[in-house]
Amino acid sequence: MFQRTLLVSALFASSLSLNAAELVIAGRDSSYGDALQFVVDEYQNQQPDTNITLVKRPSNGLYESVVLSMREQTGNYDVILMDDTWAPEFLSNNWLSPLSQQVEDEDFISASFDIGRYPNASSAAYAMPMVGNVAMFAWNRALFEQNQLSEPKSWSDVLKSAEVISQSTDTNGLVFRGVKGNPIVTGFLPILWGFGADVVDSEGQASLDTPEAKQALEAFLAMKQYAPRGVDVYNADEVRDSLQKGSAAMAIEVWPAWVPNLDNPEVSAVVGDMEIMAPPAEVGQPSPMLGIWQLAVPADSNNKAEAEAFLAFATSAEIQKALALDFGMPPTRSSVYHDEDVVAKYRWYPQQAAALSTGKARPRIHNWAEVESILGDFLQLAMMGQMSAEQALKQAQRRIERVIKV
Amino acid sequence: MRRYLHGLTVWMMVGLFVLPVVWMVATAFKSPGEILNAGARLWPEQISLSAFERLLAGEFPLLIGNTLLIALMATGLSLLVSFFSAYALVRYRFPAKLDGAFLLAVLVIKMMPPIVVATPLYSLINQLGLLNTKLGLVLCYQVYTLPFCIWMLLGFIRDIPLEIEEAAAMDGAHLFKRLGFVVFPLCAPGLVATAIFSMILGWNEFLFSLLFIHTPDKFTIPLYLANFMTEDGTAWGELMAAGLVSSLPMLALAGYMQRFLLRGFSLGLK
Amino acid sequence: MLFESRKQLTLLLLPALLILGALTLYPILSVLVNAFGSVDYASKHYLFVGLDNFRELLDDFFFIAAVKNTFVFTVVASCAQVLLGLWLAVLFHRQFPGRRFALPIIIYPMMLSTLVCSSIWRSWYHYDFGLLNTVLTWLGLPAQEWLFNPDLALYSIALVDTWQWTPMAFLIILAGLQSIPKDISEAAMVDGARPLRAFMHITLPLIQKQVMLAFLLRSIDTFKLFDKVYVMTGGGPGNATETLSMFVYKYGFRFFNLGMASASALVMLLISMAMTLLYARKVMKGGKQ
Repeated sequence: MFQRTLLVSALFASSLSLNAAELVIAGRDSSYGDALQFVVDEYQNQQPDTNITLVKRPSNGLYESVVLSMREQTGNYDVILMDDTWAPEFLSNNWLSPLSQQVEDEDFISASFDIGRYPNASSAAYAMPMVGNVAMFAWNRALFEQNQLSEPKSWSDVLKSAEVISQSTDTNGLVFRGVKGNPIVTGFLPILWGFGADVVDSEGQASLDTPEAKQALEAFLAMKQYAPRGVDVYNADEVRDSLQKGSAAMAIEVWPAWVPNLDNPEVSAVVGDMEIMAPPAEVGQPSPMLGIWQLAVPADSNNKAEAEAFLAFATSAEIQKALALDFGMPPTRSSVYHDEDVVAKYRWYPQQAAALSTGKARPRIHNWAEVESILGDFLQLAMMGQMSAEQALKQAQRRIERVIKV
Repeated sequence: MRRYLHGLTVWMMVGLFVLPVVWMVATAFKSPGEILNAGARLWPEQISLSAFERLLAGEFPLLIGNTLLIALMATGLSLLVSFFSAYALVRYRFPAKLDGAFLLAVLVIKMMPPIVVATPLYSLINQLGLLNTKLGLVLCYQVYTLPFCIWMLLGFIRDIPLEIEEAAAMDGAHLFKRLGFVVFPLCAPGLVATAIFSMILGWNEFLFSLLFIHTPDKFTIPLYLANFMTEDGTAWGELMAAGLVSSLPMLALAGYMQRFLLRGFSLGLK
Repeated sequence: MLFESRKQLTLLLLPALLILGALTLYPILSVLVNAFGSVDYASKHYLFVGLDNFRELLDDFFFIAAVKNTFVFTVVASCAQVLLGLWLAVLFHRQFPGRRFALPIIIYPMMLSTLVCSSIWRSWYHYDFGLLNTVLTWLGLPAQEWLFNPDLALYSIALVDTWQWTPMAFLIILAGLQSIPKDISEAAMVDGARPLRAFMHITLPLIQKQVMLAFLLRSIDTFKLFDKVYVMTGGGPGNATETLSMFVYKYGFRFFNLGMASASALVMLLISMAMTLLYARKVMKGGKQ
């Protein structure tokens, strides 16, 4: 009898599901893709009537795809995963749909949530922080102690330590991402900021022709001699491998997604040796770089209510904890950062939470992609010795001045 | 004796050409652990089918069918349309050198990098409601395949002696009958050769399918392959296995059509 | 007598005209218009700026490098492919044991997806673990920075393209060789002409058309070089492998700067038109009834 009732209700439910919601989600590939897949599966367990299609794209392809789609108002996507640097462009073009008050929660670390508000930090939210990436600095404490070195407090310390380690051991002093475009720029920004300089000043004008910027770039170029051969074409996986194999003592820029396996003896040769902390500064306080992956609902979506429900689910404390534990995705809620299980697994999470709350976003300009690409081109030319630091910055300044849109 | 020496030279060249392919096949059959440890080894220590198993369990077979269908439809459409237009261009001198202008325009389209047309084409396909459909891709691929087919077929049709057609016309065959029963059989080898190249174009097309297709069940093979290369590294086993499997239909096609291929070319370009 | 009416023939041309017109007329016109404008991508607002975009292009270090690299790559890769293809075709023209099996093997690289091709070679070029450096070291030669030596990277990519596309040139030329009537080549042999001379003076003129066609098709494709660069170097190191297609892609799809993208696309179009004008003229003169 009970079974029959179940059957009937199931039939009833399935007839209702004729007008069941359909969601198309545009997301990233690689570990972000796996994480999103997990969220989708969990969501469908709870809401079996919702039909979800998850599209996984590499970062560049995702950007191209969502921009084309939102510009033509195709209604292709109901939820998009986006890098926080894309937000100024999307928001100023009115491509995103505002979220209701209900999604706001004190538990979110405000630096990561406010980045989704528009036009200013007290306005309505248009995006929710799913992955609380913040650029950290990694150094091998064991190797430092072996060489009577102490924790690097400034970029000059980093340079000095790198020199000592490179000379006295087989290990490379440091490693960073040297591929042109986004990687080399994000590799360089912590140093640029550490010297008190920036790509764009508070008025939104290019500001690379300053003495501070020149010092920063010269320090960056000096670091190359302590980096592995071919660092000019290093990307995330090479940096991660160098750290895990123990072939580099420091990494200027590491993102949380690269480090969950540092303490995993199966793949890591440096279990327990590495320290992850906010990057050093040369002057003033360190400003760790934010790299939040946000979830948002395009203005042309046809299922906004359902989409918002998915956003809330995907950023809930429960899901964030699972994502952190199983996929190494850094949370954006302070309760998850203080969760016992999570801290037990990632001993650097307290530092990371602190870095996140003082985190600094990359310049909020409309065409950051273009500015970043120009800067990346000239950084690499300087890195290859085809230009001096001063020349490279001058050229970059001139080109960026011309294209910048605030 | 000299013949064998000659044969030896050729086979050595063939050997050099085939080395990367050998590496691809070997990698496809390596176990995941072995790929990580010895990227440079030319042969697997132990044959592992795990990459193939993972492929076949996923949507790969479905996507092969998708892509084959799209490439076939695009090629069919291009061949039909270009057969007609190449015939008209060969047999009829259009006023004011319009035929020349048309051919030049076709050449310009052939030379144009597809990236140039991609954005406006996206708007167009969207307005037609053909985004994320096979038909949409078939249409878009005409930008690559149609100019190519027109230029290829031009030569083949030009080689068909006018006298044969005149004789057919005496017997009362009108234009479409002649096209179907005289011209078509005579340039069949040319059509086959053109079809193979056009199939290869459609089978390997990347840019348009990247931009115009957005759900995984409609992906074409190149899009699917691209998924194996991520920021976290490359899934070598799967990539090579998928590359190998997806080249087989083309290889079979070309192998079967080998003789037509050679004959086709020589007829067309004499 | 042969054609009942000219309308019929015009009708035959119509489908091609319609399809190509619909798909490319609007895009090409919009490139022409956008090249002289500044376009706001989101609002589609257009502002005429005259030659500003072109001035900016000429001032752009990376654009100049892209033009240069594209030119070098086109010449090097297409020449290498045609010459190698010609040589292979001559070898295959004569019978040898197993010819039937060798042919499909030689043309196989062409059937592979470009992504797979590029990945195979990217792995071979790896500085520490790649097959090429392993062999070089084993032979006692210095390892090469195939993809990150700025003087070498472009040629490394040209090698990949040559591997993949020589088969196309080879097939076209082989077909030409096989259509030479037997008596001509035999006459050359009987004459006692030395093989090389016989080839240069008798065979080569006969297959000139095919060699030209192979050269045209290959230079068009090499000129458009995009996906190999995208997968293997991303245009780097520095600007060593930046090509025109990469440049257009970057402005069109990374920055959505339609003005600059169109201006550079227009330059690309003009160069390639100039490149093939000679050839087109020659072909179009041929046989009209």
